[in-house]
Amino acid sequence: MASVLDSSPKQKKKKKKRKENSLYFKYREISSSSSFLYFFPSQTVTGNFAKVIHGLNANQLTDQVIQRSKRMILDTLGVGLLGTSTEVCHKVAQYSKIYCSDLSSTIWGHLDFRLPPLYAAFVNGVAVHSMDFDDTWHPATHPSGAVLPALIALSEAFPQKKKISGLDLLLAFNVGIEVQGRLLHFSREARNIPKRFHPPAVVGVMGSAAACAKLLALDQLECKNALAIAASYAGAPLANAATQIKPLHVGNAAKHGLEAACLALQGLQGNKQILDMESGMGAFYTDYSPQNLPTLQSYPWLLDQQDVAIKRFPAHLATHWVADAASSVRRKLLDSSENLFPLDKIEKVVLKVPEVKYVNRPSPASEHEARHSFQFVACSALLDGSMSVQSFTSENVHRPALRALLCKTQLEHPPDNTPSFDSLYCEVSVTLRDGNTISDRCTTFYGHWRKPLKKEDLEKKFQSNALGILPTEAMEGIIETVHSLEKVEDCSVLSTFLSGQSARALPEKLRFL
Amino acid sequence: LWIKGYNFFASFIQAARPEHLSQTVRQRSKRMILDSIGVGLVGSTTPVFDIALRYCRLYSSVAVSSVYGKPGVKLSPTLAAFTNGVATHSMDFDDTWHPATHPSGAVLPALLAASQMLPPSTKPSGLEFLLAFNVGLEVQGRLMHFSTEAHDIPKRFHPPSVVGTLGSAAAAAKLLSLSSAQCCHALGIAASLAGAPMANAATQAKPLHVGNATRLGLEAALLAARGMEANPLILDDIPGCSGFSAFYTIYHPKPLSAPGEHHEFLLEKQDIAFKRFPAHLGMHWVVDAALSVRNLFVNYAGSFSPSLIRSIVLRIPVSKYINRPFPSSEHQARHSFQFNACAALLDGEVGLGSFSESSIQRQELRELLDKVVVEHPEDNVANFDKMYGEVALLLHSGDVLTGKCDTFYGHWRKPLSKESLLKKFRSNASHVLPEEKIEAIITLVDNLENLSDSSQLTSTFPHMEH
Repeated sequence: MASVLDSSPKQKKKKKKRKENSLYFKYREISSSSSFLYFFPSQTVTGNFAKVIHGLNANQLTDQVIQRSKRMILDTLGVGLLGTSTEVCHKVAQYSKIYCSDLSSTIWGHLDFRLPPLYAAFVNGVAVHSMDFDDTWHPATHPSGAVLPALIALSEAFPQKKKISGLDLLLAFNVGIEVQGRLLHFSREARNIPKRFHPPAVVGVMGSAAACAKLLALDQLECKNALAIAASYAGAPLANAATQIKPLHVGNAAKHGLEAACLALQGLQGNKQILDMESGMGAFYTDYSPQNLPTLQSYPWLLDQQDVAIKRFPAHLATHWVADAASSVRRKLLDSSENLFPLDKIEKVVLKVPEVKYVNRPSPASEHEARHSFQFVACSALLDGSMSVQSFTSENVHRPALRALLCKTQLEHPPDNTPSFDSLYCEVSVTLRDGNTISDRCTTFYGHWRKPLKKEDLEKKFQSNALGILPTEAMEGIIETVHSLEKVEDCSVLSTFLSGQSARALPEKLRFL
Repeated sequence: LWIKGYNFFASFIQAARPEHLSQTVRQRSKRMILDSIGVGLVGSTTPVFDIALRYCRLYSSVAVSSVYGKPGVKLSPTLAAFTNGVATHSMDFDDTWHPATHPSGAVLPALLAASQMLPPSTKPSGLEFLLAFNVGLEVQGRLMHFSTEAHDIPKRFHPPSVVGTLGSAAAAAKLLSLSSAQCCHALGIAASLAGAPMANAATQAKPLHVGNATRLGLEAALLAARGMEANPLILDDIPGCSGFSAFYTIYHPKPLSAPGEHHEFLLEKQDIAFKRFPAHLGMHWVVDAALSVRNLFVNYAGSFSPSLIRSIVLRIPVSKYINRPFPSSEHQARHSFQFNACAALLDGEVGLGSFSESSIQRQELRELLDKVVVEHPEDNVANFDKMYGEVALLLHSGDVLTGKCDTFYGHWRKPLSKESLLKKFRSNASHVLPEEKIEAIITLVDNLENLSDSSQLTSTFPHMEH
């Protein structure tokens, strides 16, 4: 077996030559046969990630991280439950049923059938993103949907039927979120709203792999391989956003990350420098600078420094600024015209928004397009006062009053309006026939990380989503369980509620530490 | 691609008919099918295959599709495709095209699995199977022509994971007789399942690229069949919002002509390369050059005497992932110019056994590797149509012996003869099948157009014990 001790004079000469090349350290494009790295495995970013995924433990979760991640978990579950009623979800569930087998995990909202963990992760992941109602982070991705469905599915089908505690789940969840955030920081491109690859498909699958690797307690080498294998599943083009396929990006991220971890557990090996190389994760970015994670000692979680945004209605995050500005303009209009909305008197509507091509749709024809349309959300909010799940039904998308208003709507892209969820703003101006213009600007919508949803509103969103899908007891059971997640002894109680069973059916499982 | 409002690719897939396959195309694609099956059969003996199979068996309900070389084992269609795709690429022994990709492994397993999935009354005939196979190849080839980048040995994304996934979706869509609109969506869905980075080449994960291409392409077609819809402009150039162009820096999509008198399948003009030993295609030039200089050396010195050699100069194109001075695993060895040259020099041939652990670690081989120096002549382009391999032995005596190879035997410019191809197939298949089965497959593939039920092909894989 080759080791650094076997270096022949020729090989040493080659190493020296490489060190002189400044690119060597920048990109770490080390030929795998170089024995230099066998002695110092964590010198690679990949090795470092594996070390941290493996080494993080529950004691390192701060209160703020626990609090924030539990909010994310609750919101994700609600959004997923609601999503099980969508057409896209029905299609993937039908498809996935061809893989039924002994191993089985819960399909959220369903008691009538179960699926193997891989496909449960897939279907539930699709459900979470089916309406674009799930959380969004900065730099931009939808972190929870790629991770939570995989973890819950895995926890139910654990090898050796081991009991997973709420704290185990919470830790693995946070590892999955953290890995995604750190990867997004490797590229300046990632700070802006994406143009090429849909981020959940790039970093989401890596986060899912990391989270599952954590739950499965893979060793460092296996963690490295899980990441390497997951990279080969990463990447989906942005052009499928605003179509029925977009939800599958999150579903597949969850599914393939789980698969990568399982294959790593079986001993499959990939490139142990997958995060270091330009031809590794670097393939998805034009600028890529990987870095090591901080040391495990008092680990600084990204979620501590940067919260997520929780959506108030199911549409692309950028439209939330528009909705708040439009609602406010509507109120002003009502005030100045005796509480009657002057639809016929509107000459034009101008939206000052950042340049984001895939959310610029003057005349959306489907619910998916409507969820990705500045124009549609502005007009809906002007007409109805606020946005909701109902705003995107076929009837509402096609109503004549809305269509008429859309025709009068145009976009402007002020140069100071950068396409970044941290800094963008939206301004809505309505000009009436008499020449009057009413406008309002929104720089931070309610639900953004700078103005987080209050606990009551977060729970209200969950309840509204779960209504009709789950019985009240199961709904309340989930809220309670997630609220005290770190104290839950056996997190399978969560799955039981998710399938629609009530608390009365399982008193013995609802035990807290 | 949406000129006149319909999707060229989708309508090509849907409208292609067996009559559109020329004699040359039929002949070449049957050779590819035979080689692919053989390579898959021998691949079923590898560790990476074992892992993939063990994993897939967790999900084996509705198990209708066969697995190469495994008696009595059936898996669900997409997982069977996955496993067989992994087998096909497990040793890097499968075919290579120009522009560069491994086309058959991405298409054949999906078709085999799908053919077993269809009910007896609608089993596709051999001719329909052959047509679907060629649709899958054609789509891959056409997609690669969208980017000049694709003409060279890849650096960023592994081509089978990019075009292979769409090729598989197209082929499956064809076999399942999807409508034009559904074919379009199958391509769009597949695009969101495409793309694996090059860094996993030369590792155990590389075979998964082909396994996933064929599996996920089939999945895309199955989802499209159930009404899933994607972006109908996925192949078009959409500034500010990438579709399939996401995988390339230079991207110029072109419409396919409708199949008919004017449509020529790419396979007609551009044949495939078949490998003679299980390693990256680039290795084949260097091995042939090494064998030629070895002959000179043996004539010169009476026998192969490494002690007479001061250094070995390899003149090869620049390609990082196949330039490995001291490979430490079989996967790395298959992707090492240096290793393959030295193995050829030492043994006088390179075969399956050259990549075993003991062969890789041999002292004599390591000693030879120590003498290797690599040069990248400017005229040696990293492109399978233009590259060459040169091996020069600089002897202690001062003499220099050189061997050069422009076109190795098996390359499309010098295709394997029928005998050589059959020899390769028999040798591969004999690892897991008895002689009667081996000959049965050869006959079936040779007469593929006349087969009434193509799922008969798959019944030959397992070794049936009587």
